Amino acid sequence: MPYVVTDLCAGCRYTECVSVCPVECFHIDDSMTYIDPTNCIDCGGCVPVCPVGAIKAAHKLPADKLEWIEINRRRAAETPVVTSRLPPLPGADERKAMILR
Amino acid sequence: MAQSIVVGACPHDCPDTCSILTTVEDGKAIAVRGNPDHPFTRGRLCVKVNNYEERVYSDQRVLYPLRRVGPKGSGSFARISWDEAVGEIAARWKAIIAESGAEAILPYSYLGTQGIINGLNVGDPLFNKLGASVSERTFCDSASCTAYMMTIGHTPGVDPESFVHSKYIILWACNTLSTNSHHWPFIEKAKKSGAKLVVIDPVRTRTAALADWHLQIRPGTDCALALAMIHVVIKEQLIDRDYIDKHTIGFDELAARASTYTPEFAASETGIPAEDIIRLAREYATTPPAVVRIGVAVERHAGGGQTVRAIACLPALIGAWKHVGGGLLQLPIWAFPVNWPNLMRPDLQPAKMRVINTWRLGAALTGDLPEGPPIRSLFVYNANPMAMVTEQDRLERGLAREDLFTVVSEHFLTDTAKYADIVLPATTQLEQKDIMFSWGHLYLSYNNPAIAPLGEAVSNTELFRRLAAAMDIDDPFFLRSDDEMIEASMDWTSPALRGISLEQLKKTGFARLSLQHPDEWAPHRDGNFPTPSGKCEFKSSIAEGGNFVVPLFRQGYGADQAGDPVDPLPHYIAPNESPMTAPAEAERYPLSLISPKSHALLNSNYGNLPAQQVLAGEQQMVVLHPEDAASRGIVAGAPIRVFNHRGSFEAFATLSADVMRGVVVAPAGYWHRSNRKGATVHAVTPPAYADLGRAPTFSDVLVQVATA
Repeated sequence: MPYVVTDLCAGCRYTECVSVCPVECFHIDDSMTYIDPTNCIDCGGCVPVCPVGAIKAAHKLPADKLEWIEINRRRAAETPVVTSRLPPLPGADERKAMILR
Repeated sequence: MAQSIVVGACPHDCPDTCSILTTVEDGKAIAVRGNPDHPFTRGRLCVKVNNYEERVYSDQRVLYPLRRVGPKGSGSFARISWDEAVGEIAARWKAIIAESGAEAILPYSYLGTQGIINGLNVGDPLFNKLGASVSERTFCDSASCTAYMMTIGHTPGVDPESFVHSKYIILWACNTLSTNSHHWPFIEKAKKSGAKLVVIDPVRTRTAALADWHLQIRPGTDCALALAMIHVVIKEQLIDRDYIDKHTIGFDELAARASTYTPEFAASETGIPAEDIIRLAREYATTPPAVVRIGVAVERHAGGGQTVRAIACLPALIGAWKHVGGGLLQLPIWAFPVNWPNLMRPDLQPAKMRVINTWRLGAALTGDLPEGPPIRSLFVYNANPMAMVTEQDRLERGLAREDLFTVVSEHFLTDTAKYADIVLPATTQLEQKDIMFSWGHLYLSYNNPAIAPLGEAVSNTELFRRLAAAMDIDDPFFLRSDDEMIEASMDWTSPALRGISLEQLKKTGFARLSLQHPDEWAPHRDGNFPTPSGKCEFKSSIAEGGNFVVPLFRQGYGADQAGDPVDPLPHYIAPNESPMTAPAEAERYPLSLISPKSHALLNSNYGNLPAQQVLAGEQQMVVLHPEDAASRGIVAGAPIRVFNHRGSFEAFATLSADVMRGVVVAPAGYWHRSNRKGATVHAVTPPAYADLGRAPTFSDVLVQVATA
């Protein structure tokens, strides 16, 4: 049961997670990243580096976020791997300020 | 809210020894993370440790000394004071020593905590001084250490960071992503620069799945493959004649020996086609820099020691050591100038001691002893033998003896602690101070305590200070503070520590040993092997003295070694238990069981903790090939019984074609209390030693599996 990116990532997509992941398990679309559960080695290195706290261990997800386990699995299969950090999406810093307030 | 970050180091028996940053808020640890500044840790921990604070604050922690109040093994305890606990231990030990001699006391420990002052040797000075039985601890890499000494000496070998320069990487019996995961980025970087990654493993592990080439090998036959590689590189003149002439001894004898180990012979043993073996040897010899990383699993069968001997010959044959990123990696621990005699104090030993091997604990406690008095007291720390030792049934009978006075120092009421008369509360790494070596990289680490000890938990160093005082030992050595012990634990004048001060180390948490940079490190470019000849000894001069365990694993005691004769040239020893070598037994028990490390458990650590149980399962994991399952009417998730003439355990079946047909995978570390019917994998594993260093053979086992 690996780690899961939740919708808190959508609109920010800081990709700090990508720089710490040792196994290239992050995939990406226009709005956010996803973790490929078959590659993830459960190390949790991505959790503390996410500026908005979007990544959680699957077994610690609250009930209203459980759907993200399946969404990560599906979207990781449909989207390309991202291997290095990208600039965040426009407006990410403002959004982060809102989330962390 | 006062928040601070404390730099420490992971305490576990793992090659990665990560630098850990603990966030402390108002005296409480609220989070741990990997140190982003550490070149090997690189900002992340692992599945075992990434929630370490949950281990520290688990409601299962033992926080006060306990005395047994029910029958042995009932798990009924009552709180007592430290004074009562230590007083009772000392009174019992003094009586036992007076009546039966100190050898009736047996310490039992390993690397539950790996710190230099709280780890492997912390109890050795006391038990050496008392003259108790010596605990010969050959859990891990003991066959390898002996084989290394016989072949290339105790060299750190290739720097794991130098792998970025390698062009041909063989991970041999090593599931890097589960058990050495911080090495992976260096391997991946090499791959991206064009290196070929080969994994040799009976199982298509996570690591094997990412390899360019996975060679699936029958358990316990790796030596045949290594010898056939030697055969091919010599026969096809792929050797480095100049390197061999200058820096090795025994080449002609090795060539003669290897001539019989043809690829066809190895194919019949390993199950790997002969043409693949030839291709592997050719590619390995002609793609410099070529490097082999061996995992501990390679030694856990009858011929484990000779397997490491044969593999350790390969790099010298092809001159791999001449290149940065070429050679062999297993135990860089030898680079650390640890002051082992000061930690073990063998000088305090009586001239003659009784040695009891850790794999024979069940036998020792049930009266099967080579000599001397019966064991009347067992002192366990840094270990959980009920989960990790062979002959589980017999061990349980021994621990259940009402007349055995058992003391266990622990974080939790483990399967072993449940049988104790006295349980003592031990601190976790966040509550103690230590200095750390690594057996997987070249950084010395310092563990600052992040929080005060919980309850009345004490570090192992403090535990042994209290015990020494209670045993009326007035030698000031036994009263030294942790700081004094840390200061004395290393040879600070060694060139490897040049420029490293303890004060600075406390602040940074880590320092790279003062060795050449990983981009330059080629320790045997010009030979200089730490062997008696200074050369790579294909024909070992040390073998003449017979089989031995390095004194580091036996409290520094050098006498009374196994001594059985050792052929000075590498040779193949087939598994004790395989359908080919034990056909009669295989009629009843046709499947080969291997017991690797679990992905989410660290030996038996975390077997009781919820987050890791989510990943590893609470129950003993058993993986079967779907065809082996189908022929037995077993479906995925079905309750099964795994058994042989030694015993049995139950589990729920996992089916996967990642496992070879004919092989059963059952990782060790699961706790009895959470397992179906109690017993776990070590109920079926043998007490037999491997050929060298008294390593275990728990991946050299025949079993049968049936629905339960």
